[in-house]
Amino acid sequence: MMIRQLALATLAIVCAGPVLAQDFEPPLERLIDGYIRPSMSEFAETAGSLPGAVDAVCAKAPEKDAQETFRIAFAAAVEGFSKIHFLRFGPLLEDDRLNRLAFLPDPRGAAQRQIRKIYAKKDETVLSPQTISAKSVAVQGLTALQLIAFDKNSAVRLAEPDDDREFTCGYARSIAENIAGIAADLASEWDDPDGYAKVLLTSSTGNERFHTSKEAIESVFNTLVTGLIIVRDQDLLPALGSSQEDAKAYRFPFSRSGNSVVYMKAELQGIRDALFSMNLMAMTPEKFHWIYNGVDFEFSNAQGYLDNLQSPLRQTFEDGDGYAQVSILAITVKSIRNTLATEMAGALQLAGGFNALDGD
Amino acid sequence: MRSTGTRSSLFRSGSILRQASGRLRDQATLTTLSRRGFLAALGGLAATPVFSRSTLAESLIGKEAADGVPLFVSAFKKADGDYGVGILDDLGQVLGEISLPGRGHGVAISPDRTRFVAFARRPGTFAVVVRPFEDAEPQVIAAQSGRHFYGHGSFSADGRLLYAVENDYEAARGVVGVYDASGKTISRIGEIETHGIGPHDLMIDPDGKTLIVANGGIKTHPDMPRKKLNLDTMTPSVVYLDAENGDLLAEHALGTSLHQLSLRHMALDGNGRVWVGGQFEGPQADQPPLVAVLGRDESIRVTDIPDSIAPGLQNYVGSVTANASGEIIATSCPRGGQTLFWKASSGAFLGAEAIIDGCGVAPIDQGSFLISDGNGAVSLVEDPTRPAEILARPPGYSWDNHMFALT
Repeated sequence: MMIRQLALATLAIVCAGPVLAQDFEPPLERLIDGYIRPSMSEFAETAGSLPGAVDAVCAKAPEKDAQETFRIAFAAAVEGFSKIHFLRFGPLLEDDRLNRLAFLPDPRGAAQRQIRKIYAKKDETVLSPQTISAKSVAVQGLTALQLIAFDKNSAVRLAEPDDDREFTCGYARSIAENIAGIAADLASEWDDPDGYAKVLLTSSTGNERFHTSKEAIESVFNTLVTGLIIVRDQDLLPALGSSQEDAKAYRFPFSRSGNSVVYMKAELQGIRDALFSMNLMAMTPEKFHWIYNGVDFEFSNAQGYLDNLQSPLRQTFEDGDGYAQVSILAITVKSIRNTLATEMAGALQLAGGFNALDGD
Repeated sequence: MRSTGTRSSLFRSGSILRQASGRLRDQATLTTLSRRGFLAALGGLAATPVFSRSTLAESLIGKEAADGVPLFVSAFKKADGDYGVGILDDLGQVLGEISLPGRGHGVAISPDRTRFVAFARRPGTFAVVVRPFEDAEPQVIAAQSGRHFYGHGSFSADGRLLYAVENDYEAARGVVGVYDASGKTISRIGEIETHGIGPHDLMIDPDGKTLIVANGGIKTHPDMPRKKLNLDTMTPSVVYLDAENGDLLAEHALGTSLHQLSLRHMALDGNGRVWVGGQFEGPQADQPPLVAVLGRDESIRVTDIPDSIAPGLQNYVGSVTANASGEIIATSCPRGGQTLFWKASSGAFLGAEAIIDGCGVAPIDQGSFLISDGNGAVSLVEDPTRPAEILARPPGYSWDNHMFALT
């Protein structure tokens, strides 16, 4: 902590004095073209294959290996989602899309409770994508689909021959279409030159949302910092518990379908790629370029720790050194977050925090 | 497929009062009121009925939500730049929200829990009265000419009066604006001097007859909204005032060595003593105490923050809250990303929770706390020695300094 404060103090001294206002529109443009649009388009594609994958499993004469095809399609959609979920601004917040795509976190199992009620009364409003979108956010996205399509042991149970087969298939199909529709809307809204891209890309001359491009990039940069907080505090710490004996693998996101590692790898890679797509280093005084190299190194370490884990975590986390790997991953993610929020933000003279920023 | 006609809310007219879109229940009819009408109200038309009643109008919070579910209220900023105040349930889900024309801060809740008043952050000039369980339009109170709100206030014990801390900025004098809240609308009827500068938090003493005000001591003027004008001479205090006549009944100040510790946020413990948290305006390298406790007839004394934690707090406490029994006090330190817990009876330090930008703290259940943060999370702390549990993170919300138990 002391070292960090010293580093900050040094930054403050170095950065003091008149500095020309930087134009942050070019990095925002690079982010949109180089990361957001391709990722949204990729998610639209993977989500778009979900309805067909449900159909293939649920057909009267299921295709050979249809369950495996569905498992792969679901994993691809989860991976696509994990690369965009931290872009918590603009289109992802409209129409409550983020919550509707995945209701996270859900430590008290609200989704499971609500889905149980849906089954109890065979609520037919979940069977159509038109009506499911107006239901509770907890019962219409990837997290709901996971609950009805996988069993506790991470096996596909969609279309298993039980009394609820038809209902589950109809419900799954409706969720799949809902997800595909939201993903398609996200992609088209980000592609729209008059959409939120315009809000970010007209910021240097000021608009209704942002007075300057610095404000615009602060909003984006701080979202990436929040993304790292979510990875550690929300995705890792609940599963780690207070000790190895207290570990709860089922608390990892998407653990039920065996996709936790897929999800966490892709979200960390996504945050890294989004950050580096902006090439902020080019706008940073050379003496601070080490920050970017250091962060990149830590991101790559994080991928390494995740590579050492065995999926599905619900079955493997208690054995071997998984706990140690995730523990050090949590420390690494915290360190990346701190470097971004202090050193990198300081070098770029970006303001962060909300309550911490300007006290009252 | 959903319509692709949606746009960033930048291109959409906002609504003032609506059931939140972040819904964990099936979608209900939305109630919307025009933003233009709301802003017009702030232009001095508050007396005229500017909220055209929608035929769809209904209460902000449905009976179902109000029935037995603990509710909380907090100001927020949204990712689209809008400000408002949100109503959350005990799982951190947003059940309803009201737009505000600027950044909010504290909320006063009526003793019968049927109304609340959201105050503008200093140096704002609006306060909004909301009856969340009724089909009722919010009332906008504009600060009296020559005054602005400081962000906090409280209803009287019988709910008939509303007190709001205000700045008489030309005279650099803190006042408590007194408002008649006994009728359908709330109107200002007078003011009480706070015997200090920069009054911030305000509470009603358990006797129901005394106001307790934390004079932060910092002189500001709305012409230079966030500039502090008297850091060398500031003299913060906590005062007890006779609610009836404004008489100064007791005054507590830290010694001259701590005169730059602005005393700002307070909570009452189970024994009726005042816990106060400060923000230090002196040299950053100093490490002064930040939390103090006092009684009307009991002199102020500071608590000891452990050396392992103190250096990281950046000398700033953002809010102070007691748990339901008044046995534990929480003091949030958003700059340090830590919330500290104290045993009220002894002043002993109990532990800290690391929550980045965590600031809003409200009591929940028998002894626990709900903590909101600038990254949108709502976390439950049942035991300060165990990690906080993130209950929810409503997308796009940054929770502001304070959260209050509404029911």
